[in-house]
Amino acid sequence: MTTAIKKGKLHVVRLNVNGEEHAALVKANTTLLDLLREEFDYTGTKKGCELGDCGACTVLMDDKPVTSCLVLAVEADGHSVTTIEGVEQEGKLDRVQEEFIKHVAVQCGYCTPGMILSAKALLARNPHPSEREVREAIAGNLCRCTGYGRIVKAILAAAETNI
Amino acid sequence: MSDTATKAFSVIGKSVPKIDGREKVTGKARYTGDLKVPGMLIGKILRSPHAHARILSIDTSKAEKLPGVEAVITAKDVPSTFYGISPARYDETILAIDKVIQVGDKVAAVAAVDEETAVKALGLIAVEYEVLPAVLDPLKAMDEDQPQVHPQYERNISVEIHQNFGDVEKAFQESHLVRTDCFEGNRATHVPMEPHAAISKWEDGKLTIWSSTQSPHYFQYHIARVFDLKMGDVRVMKTFVGGGFGGKLEPSAAEYVSAALAMKTGRPVRVVFDRKEVFFHNRGRHAQHIELTTGVTKEGKILGVHAKFIIDGGSYTGLGIASAYYAGAMLPLIYDFDHFKFDGFRVHTNLPSCAAQRGHGAPQPRFAFESQLDMIAKDLHMDPIEIRKVNARRPNTTTLNDLKVNSCEFTACLEKAAEISDWAGKKGKLPPGQGIGIGCGGFVTGAGYPIYRTRLPQASAVIKVSEQGDTATLYIGAVDIGQGSDTILAQMAAEAMGINYEDVRIVSADTETTPHDFGAYASRQTLMSGHAVKQAGDEIRRQILELAAELLEANVEDVDIDRRIVFVKGSPEKMLTFENVANEFFIRKGPLVGKGSYTPPKLGGKYKGAAVGTSPAYSFAAQISQVDVDEETGQVMVTNVWDVHDCGTVINPNLLHAQVEGALFMGMGEAMYEQVLFDDKGKPVNANLGEYRVPTALDVPQVTSELVDSYEPAGPWGVKEVGEGATLPTMGCYANAIYDAIGVRIYDLPLTPEKVWRAVQERKKQG
Amino acid sequence: MIIPEFEYLSPQSLQEACALLVQYGNRAKVLAGGSDVLVKMKDGLIGPAYLVSLKNLDSLRSIRYEKGTGVIIGARTTHNEVMNNNILQEKYRSVCEAAHSMAADQIRNIGTVGGNLVNAVPSADLPPILIALDAQARIVGPSRARTIALEEFFLGPGKTVLEDGEILTEIVIPDQPTTGSNYIKFGLRRAGALAVAGVASSVAVRDGLCQDVRIVLGAVAPTPIRAHRAENALRSKKISPELINEAGKIAAEESKPINDIRGSIEYRRNLVDVLTRRSLKAAIEKGHV
Repeated sequence: MTTAIKKGKLHVVRLNVNGEEHAALVKANTTLLDLLREEFDYTGTKKGCELGDCGACTVLMDDKPVTSCLVLAVEADGHSVTTIEGVEQEGKLDRVQEEFIKHVAVQCGYCTPGMILSAKALLARNPHPSEREVREAIAGNLCRCTGYGRIVKAILAAAETNI
Repeated sequence: MSDTATKAFSVIGKSVPKIDGREKVTGKARYTGDLKVPGMLIGKILRSPHAHARILSIDTSKAEKLPGVEAVITAKDVPSTFYGISPARYDETILAIDKVIQVGDKVAAVAAVDEETAVKALGLIAVEYEVLPAVLDPLKAMDEDQPQVHPQYERNISVEIHQNFGDVEKAFQESHLVRTDCFEGNRATHVPMEPHAAISKWEDGKLTIWSSTQSPHYFQYHIARVFDLKMGDVRVMKTFVGGGFGGKLEPSAAEYVSAALAMKTGRPVRVVFDRKEVFFHNRGRHAQHIELTTGVTKEGKILGVHAKFIIDGGSYTGLGIASAYYAGAMLPLIYDFDHFKFDGFRVHTNLPSCAAQRGHGAPQPRFAFESQLDMIAKDLHMDPIEIRKVNARRPNTTTLNDLKVNSCEFTACLEKAAEISDWAGKKGKLPPGQGIGIGCGGFVTGAGYPIYRTRLPQASAVIKVSEQGDTATLYIGAVDIGQGSDTILAQMAAEAMGINYEDVRIVSADTETTPHDFGAYASRQTLMSGHAVKQAGDEIRRQILELAAELLEANVEDVDIDRRIVFVKGSPEKMLTFENVANEFFIRKGPLVGKGSYTPPKLGGKYKGAAVGTSPAYSFAAQISQVDVDEETGQVMVTNVWDVHDCGTVINPNLLHAQVEGALFMGMGEAMYEQVLFDDKGKPVNANLGEYRVPTALDVPQVTSELVDSYEPAGPWGVKEVGEGATLPTMGCYANAIYDAIGVRIYDLPLTPEKVWRAVQERKKQG
Repeated sequence: MIIPEFEYLSPQSLQEACALLVQYGNRAKVLAGGSDVLVKMKDGLIGPAYLVSLKNLDSLRSIRYEKGTGVIIGARTTHNEVMNNNILQEKYRSVCEAAHSMAADQIRNIGTVGGNLVNAVPSADLPPILIALDAQARIVGPSRARTIALEEFFLGPGKTVLEDGEILTEIVIPDQPTTGSNYIKFGLRRAGALAVAGVASSVAVRDGLCQDVRIVLGAVAPTPIRAHRAENALRSKKISPELINEAGKIAAEESKPINDIRGSIEYRRNLVDVLTRRSLKAAIEKGHV
């Protein structure tokens, strides 16, 4: 039977976010981005344009990068989501995060969460990417501060440690 | 001094990791839009759909009745004080009174329990407009038959500048060659990844604002003035800032409207622009129409320059008044000549307001000058680098417009750029379709005078050492907007005190708790805030060494400190730690505090506008790019860029090069990809990040950033600016490389594939 | 920004979906990936009262090869799934490359083949290559199913032949004697850019002879169009650089571009000329690339 969520009515969604089961009441027009930021206080995921053009709202949904501003919370129901908050493990920085710091791939930091997630998704599916492949993977993450050079270097450095 | 020279220091000269790196890579850094304050409401602004219209009536009754709406305001509910930057040009109000003068102008605002309610409420506000004809073409704005954007600026002239140095007509008569060329710059904008945002709280007569700001001080000053509050009753705190680039140097509707709504409702209100609103607010790059006449000797020495500009200021003036002056002021900086005439007009149009953007008025004139210099070089059969060397500014000289240059290693930049790019091996020797070109630039290290008339120092700092002596906290008003000022100022504090970078804590950019600083703009902080920090650190060091001398029973001249160890020169067994001494200091004398403040010397000449362009020091840069042009499509691939900078002593090499790369990247975007466009009614047609094209990671060249040895006496430890200098050379550099590649000259920005293709067709037609 | 409120419906079967679309007519929109619909809603361009989500229709999200029919791509397949699919990589890598040329990684994980086609933006990147490969569109409605040539699917900007209650379910690339195909898109930056012009071609070449050819132009007419005269200039002829140049010129004449913020008429015509030549060259010399 068709599920219907009437205008303005709340609906339960269940997602696994950063390894933890979460449930929330959302309206049909709530985006995954707003659910993460407002309901779960995962403010690491940013609003840059809200139209899918800038990548600042990138999260991993079932391990794939998506612009969460264009995913309805109800469409994400039942899926797993990784945000930037889920990258460090028990206070220990992930290799990508360390290399971002080391290579000064972070200036204002606003694009950084989305960049790191795109990078992590790339390295998970392609442990030894070429420079071109790195640039492809982050082509949907706009950065206004760095010119991307150090970000690319950081990701390649993180890849080097993959066995 | 450059990378190598500062190896003599303990903390500065080292690429220490950014002080806020960890917070940013973990997502823990909270920007203004991430903050929640108890009881907070969401504010949204109703904006004009018309470029120019009279407001006949506003009916907010339906919006007010919507459940969840706490306040609806229009111009009658807020101060009608006009504001801006220069008192003679206060032409903006919080909400439009009588008429709107651009699409996106602020008409009304709502505070509601959540964003959706606020947006719905906006939809219930009924505004009756009488649409007026709009001024959309800056080149026609001064014509007799054009509508007036503002009643007080006749012929829509925002700023009119006429400066005359020496005798250009005579210089042209004596010239071997005189060229006149016209260039068109593009309207571009900052595109900070984080939109403007502010949270205002009004409690017990005191206004507290969290803001994505480049200058808490200027925000505090202007907001206090508009709301008629004591500055002490306005507290502005910078949170994390996701990019500024000049667009967050003036308070925006985010601050003004959130403050007004907070006052009306008695609850905190957060206003965050969406991306379209960032385009409406704008305050970005003026499009400049430039007519440049230059006369040279047959050896290529520039004798005189006449520059005529018309620049599109858009709706409000704001910082745009300075942009107009900078456009002319920076032209005589990097090449030495004695005769200069500058006639500039900044005009108003019914388009979003233009103001300060990285390089502030100077990049497009630089594009024009660098392009023309190459054309002159060709006419004289001179190599482009040769002609630049002939004219290059030398150290310890003063420009014709009274800008005093101390250190200047511009010639060394030219030589090094030629070397690392293999200019001689490539110029004229690359395969068809490939080319190499040079562009140069120079910029101020902080503006010599603050943005409003005041005798306040430019920067100040306080350092308080902890009672145990194990850490020191640096309190500064200086603003880290991502460029890393917190980090390098902490390094400078540590160096001055003789302790480690890791021992320094930093509290910055809060008008209530941190000492005054004008903020992050015009690349001022490394030098100006740095001076204040060094002074404060030196004072700590002096107090430490005095007490240490007593404790070690030595003469104070024989005592020194390095990396937390206080020692007696020549007696290695006599030593103490900084901690020991500081702790003892507190016990005996109370708080161990150091203070510093910096005011530049009186700079500049006596002519009108002389203040703009003055600076304690100037950076210089030479940029060379290599391009590969596909003549059939006009697509230009910039494969390599080499940038060589003269920026004095380097405090943090990684952060410095990161700034060069970022500045160059912004120059590249404006040079080739970016342009804000409007329809024939003045409505933006690409106010989004899909059609306003910031380059992606796939679009950027390989960048090599290098430095030359240089030491600036006016800067602490010899520092100068670097945050804006690399934006200036880029546009001319690419235009010149394209000419070298395919023999076509593009005179207007951005250098799009279509323009290149059209120029190639022209070239073919002419045979 | 907010998405204006709507009623969200997620049917469990294709039949239910069609029934809902009939029931609500033009007050409803299909929600596949959402990268087009949600953007339009946020921009205030559309305000459907109902969104009918395809999220439960797993059968529409697959790519398979059926001997005797061809490669069948489900409408809910995302662009990255197309890009990385083994069957397409092996048989028609040009389709993978066309998907790859779209937007950027994140949008390619959200956007669907069906969405790209039904949205019918003149600059869409999948239609040209699919039409060049003679693709067929399978459509399911409340009372009937039909298959039409994808070439007939588009009526104008934003307009397709879909009637009320109909859903595009699958695209079939039939087995065919082509020896090569290619799509070239020209955008104003190397990612996240709409095509200023795009040309797809497919060829069947034997012994230097062009036995058959299809040239499809994108972003230079209200819909993707075949360059029939250019094709005729090539069909049954011996391939030579001069002939390819000729085809390029003719294709440029057949295009019907407009002036807009991305390019002028003249420049687009020039691009059609250049891209047609380059696309043909790649298809002829390199296979399905």
